[in-house]
Amino acid sequence: MLKLSAVSLQLGTQTVLHNISFSQQHDEFIGIIGPNGAGKSSLLRLIQRELAPDSGNIMLRQRALARYSNLELAKSLAVVSQTAPPLFSLTVEQVATMGLLPHKSWFELSNSHDKHQVALALQQVGLLHKASQLTDTLSGGELQRLYIARALVQQPALLLLDEPTNHLDVQYQHQILQLTRSLAIPVLACLHDLNLAAMYCDKILLLNKGRQCAFGAPAEVLRPDMLQEVFGLPCEVNMQSRLRKLQVTFMPEPVC
Amino acid sequence: MLKKHYALAMLLAVLLLLFSMLLSLNVGSATLSVSDIVKVLSGQVPQSALAETIIWQIRLPRLLCAVLVGAGLAISGAILQNASRNPLADPYLFGLMAGAGLGATLVSVVLPPQMVSMALGAFCGALFAVALVFMVCAGQNWRRIEITLLAGVAVSFMLSAISSFILYFAEPFAANRVIFWLMGSLSPVNWHSVLLLAPVTLLVLLLALALRRQLDALLLSDDSARTLGVNTQRLRLVLLLATALLTACIVSQCGGIAFVGLMIPHIVRHFFGVTSVRLLLGCAVVGALFMIWVDNLARTVLPQQEIPLGVITSLAGSIFFLLIMRRQRL
Repeated sequence: MLKLSAVSLQLGTQTVLHNISFSQQHDEFIGIIGPNGAGKSSLLRLIQRELAPDSGNIMLRQRALARYSNLELAKSLAVVSQTAPPLFSLTVEQVATMGLLPHKSWFELSNSHDKHQVALALQQVGLLHKASQLTDTLSGGELQRLYIARALVQQPALLLLDEPTNHLDVQYQHQILQLTRSLAIPVLACLHDLNLAAMYCDKILLLNKGRQCAFGAPAEVLRPDMLQEVFGLPCEVNMQSRLRKLQVTFMPEPVC
Repeated sequence: MLKKHYALAMLLAVLLLLFSMLLSLNVGSATLSVSDIVKVLSGQVPQSALAETIIWQIRLPRLLCAVLVGAGLAISGAILQNASRNPLADPYLFGLMAGAGLGATLVSVVLPPQMVSMALGAFCGALFAVALVFMVCAGQNWRRIEITLLAGVAVSFMLSAISSFILYFAEPFAANRVIFWLMGSLSPVNWHSVLLLAPVTLLVLLLALALRRQLDALLLSDDSARTLGVNTQRLRLVLLLATALLTACIVSQCGGIAFVGLMIPHIVRHFFGVTSVRLLLGCAVVGALFMIWVDNLARTVLPQQEIPLGVITSLAGSIFFLLIMRRQRL
């Protein structure tokens, strides 16, 4: 699906990413974690082709990323990031319909199949009943689900999520990640919260200062010694007995 | 905005436009009977011999120009506002008007009389202003539309200063001609104006309709449009150039008619919707409707005299805007 080999990126004189290599299989949910400035967003921007790597190469569906046209890329890759609500009052349906763009030529109208696709996507994220409402009336969680619906209408082979749960209440954080896991599309997500990553990711990529510290199943990556080195705080990693998921607890020393 | 509402609003606006067009043929200094107007339009011989000339040579081209100018300015405003996500964008923002003013000034004051028409001078001046703005902004890749707006303001002041300098030393008659021309009027238009404005307006409208999905995608954010495969910089450049060309054509034919491109899209958004197809078609019809009635007003308010169109649109537009701002619905 997605394969990065020895990818490096420099911005100005600073090395933002150094020698990143990992690959993603068809059914995997991969989380990218690391402290601020670790290069998580830059890595996503490379895969979105907003930035170009200085060395190494990125393959998407066995084809070099650089050889995709803009529209081809938009058909293979959808991105959901933290987007502010629209300035003009658009309806939920109008925003979801935007996802048709890469599939349509200049004068092509939306046909019944397209409308079905839009309705289906809205149903998948549970917003079909709000299709004709204005986006100003949606909560933060609903707005994020709407952007996921728009991404689904693109019919991508890979979904990129850039901090999808920021500024959301706990219930919505889980809702968004459960939803994206249930979609049968491989997902690559930047995540801030290590416990969310432990709970929902098949594999985790841990970055620190632009370097790849670890890549693998949560149990291989979320090790106390490694996390303490990267995040600079002592921590404990336990198995939550009922969920059978790892749980990270940082234990900062008292300040006083 | 629901689909039903949109269809109803559109139907109503189109009917109103057709009705207004017929009615406006009867507005003017000469009094014609309705039966004569109908006869002329249907190709029969009217009772008054003058009627045919008045309708075909004066009123019809003027009416069609009002339709095209109103539609063109409103469409340009809508395109620029959506493409820049800035509800205050206006087709005159590239210093077009100041450029046209300088062109008209040079042609009527500096060059020997009748060598170049004022319209051609204004058109070249407007394009010169746009070229200046584009040269300044080419480096920043059209990412930040605010810079384009500011460059337009600066270019405006520069070109206006040059115009004022020339006009200050010009003979009063020529200076008056330029100043009145800048206030905007549909009286100088003829069939040539229609033949110029019709294809340009139609082409820009078709271009914007073809790019409607791209324009809609820009409504959220540039990043979000790019993830849908839109080349935002190129899209913006194409749209800026198209609207600049259309506005330059309009200015060259009828001088400065401000605030139409700013005001009409706001009204249309409210009644028709925000997405491109609704907004563009709505703007075309409502802009035309508005301009027809402004022109009728300009011709009838004072006996034996026309009020410049720009005076009416600026007055109406500025009051409209102050009211919106007071209600904070911008």
